[in-house]
Amino acid sequence: MYPLTPFLTATGLMLIIGLTCLMVKRDMVRILIGVEILFNAANLFFVALSTQTTGFIDPLPQSVVMMAIVLDGTVIAVGLAMVVNVYRHYGTIDIRRLRRLKW
Amino acid sequence: MVGQELFSGFALPLPLAILLAGGLLSPIFGSLSDRMRFSSFKGAWMVLISGGALVSVYLLYLQVKASAEEILLMGVWGQTPPTAGCFEIDMLSVFMAGSISVLGLLVSVYSISYMAKESRLTEFYTLMAFMMAGMMGIVMAGDMFTLFVFWELMGLSSYVLVAFQKRTWGPIEAGFKYLVMSATAGAFLLLSMSIMYGMTGTLNFAALSASLKGAPVTPWTIFLLSCLIIGFGVKSAIVPLHTWLPDAHPEAPSPISALLSGAVIETGLYAMVRVLFLVFEPGFFSWPVAILAIITMSLGNIMALLQTDLKRLLAYSSIAQVGYMLIGVSTGLSYGLLGTFLHIFNHSIMKGVAFLAAGNIVHMAGTRDINEMRGVGRMMPITTFAIIVAFLGLGGVPGTSGFISKFILFNASLGAGNPILAVVGVLNSTLSMAYYLRVIMALLDGKAAEGMKVKEAPLMMAGVSLVMSILIIALGLYPNPVMGISADASEALITGLANYIGAVLR
Repeated sequence: MYPLTPFLTATGLMLIIGLTCLMVKRDMVRILIGVEILFNAANLFFVALSTQTTGFIDPLPQSVVMMAIVLDGTVIAVGLAMVVNVYRHYGTIDIRRLRRLKW
Repeated sequence: MVGQELFSGFALPLPLAILLAGGLLSPIFGSLSDRMRFSSFKGAWMVLISGGALVSVYLLYLQVKASAEEILLMGVWGQTPPTAGCFEIDMLSVFMAGSISVLGLLVSVYSISYMAKESRLTEFYTLMAFMMAGMMGIVMAGDMFTLFVFWELMGLSSYVLVAFQKRTWGPIEAGFKYLVMSATAGAFLLLSMSIMYGMTGTLNFAALSASLKGAPVTPWTIFLLSCLIIGFGVKSAIVPLHTWLPDAHPEAPSPISALLSGAVIETGLYAMVRVLFLVFEPGFFSWPVAILAIITMSLGNIMALLQTDLKRLLAYSSIAQVGYMLIGVSTGLSYGLLGTFLHIFNHSIMKGVAFLAAGNIVHMAGTRDINEMRGVGRMMPITTFAIIVAFLGLGGVPGTSGFISKFILFNASLGAGNPILAVVGVLNSTLSMAYYLRVIMALLDGKAAEGMKVKEAPLMMAGVSLVMSILIIALGLYPNPVMGISADASEALITGLANYIGAVLR
């Protein structure tokens, strides 16, 4: 059984980094990287918790995390495809230019 | 003895299996119909599988009704449920599945005619089938893992469908906004799953409920509640998290707007209600949800007053309707939940027909601006009839089905000793009539109609709107059939909870 505190700290830091990345960055690809960091924070926490059972490591979180990695990979792929289309229409991937839809 | 069906192989509930198999076969039939130059076959295939889903939901209803305690359990990998993924189907799941498949069938009939001139129809129908399969999986899931997988399936197909008409900038911008917000919410959902796993060591709904319900309030349970509200709240457009909806719903093609507004946000709300009621005592979350309900309906209605774009107005009105549904959740009574689920069904029909009729007008008149469509209604009698009935229903006029569910919701909030919710709800209903009547007046403007050349929509599109508007009036005058099923559904969440847990843990 590993101590949980380092994992908790790392998860908290990754949540803060990911949310900051979503709020501060202008580049659309970096925003998608921020989403990926948030997903990985949750994945890390899940795997860390799986070691807390005595005697064995629970396989359930491992399988959930494998599936979650696949799912967020596909979400990011769709997001990147949208970034390509945004570049075709606007000629830039600066998120602050995407403000034609208001209210 | 609960009706438990554990197969040695791989078992899926029938509606889900039909939608998934239909979605997988859809590209093959699509390319076949391209070879044979017979393009309406793709739409006909979609109508066939959504019709099959509706019939099999009815068969499932009979099966659930016949089983001893009205719960059906299906293990996915042939394992016993607490350790493996499972589907747990009670009356609530059947009710939601029925509501989704009714709307899905009508929308797929409509989209044959609406999408006839679009290209990439194969992709459109495949994604639509998978979006419906995702919703069907969510409402039948018996553990968080299954729910998460289908949640992402629904999300992924809806991102692509919102950005489907990629020739113009609007759908792409709306789609990216929707994707980033929903994916962030998905990460928070995964985080809340990990917290629940850390507290109990399982992800099965029944086992979670058995060990978490009634647990003392700690900082972790408050963190869990906020993670769950963020994770599910973005999809169901609860107000601080709603900003993607007024962009994404109008920019999608009209059939998809109807499906997104009528089924997807309700599925998000269903998942939230199911998990909250399983994990917490109703008293723990009733105040936060009541505050969210007040903010959601007030802001939705006020913003809708300011709109000039018809589809955007309808999108804000969807946010307001989610606020009414949250009233029933915050009461924590089965009578309040009866109102919530009845309103979910009625809203799926009413907002479906409103978006489809708006789609007719956009298709024929070529504009979404309310000021530019003055007098169009005189040229399109069937569409205008449908949209007027839908608006009166959404505003809660007696005689339409919207009145009954709103009446139950406000009545329940009085019964739960929370009269401020009922007062704010009635005021909001009055406010909402202001913008519905503005649209109706603009459509029926006789002066502007002179010399206008707009034809009635094609038969199939007008026919679907007419059928749905007649359904609104019929259910407003004789609500007993739906009322009975939704009463069973709300009972399943409160009094049937012990059976739900007992089906897995014996």
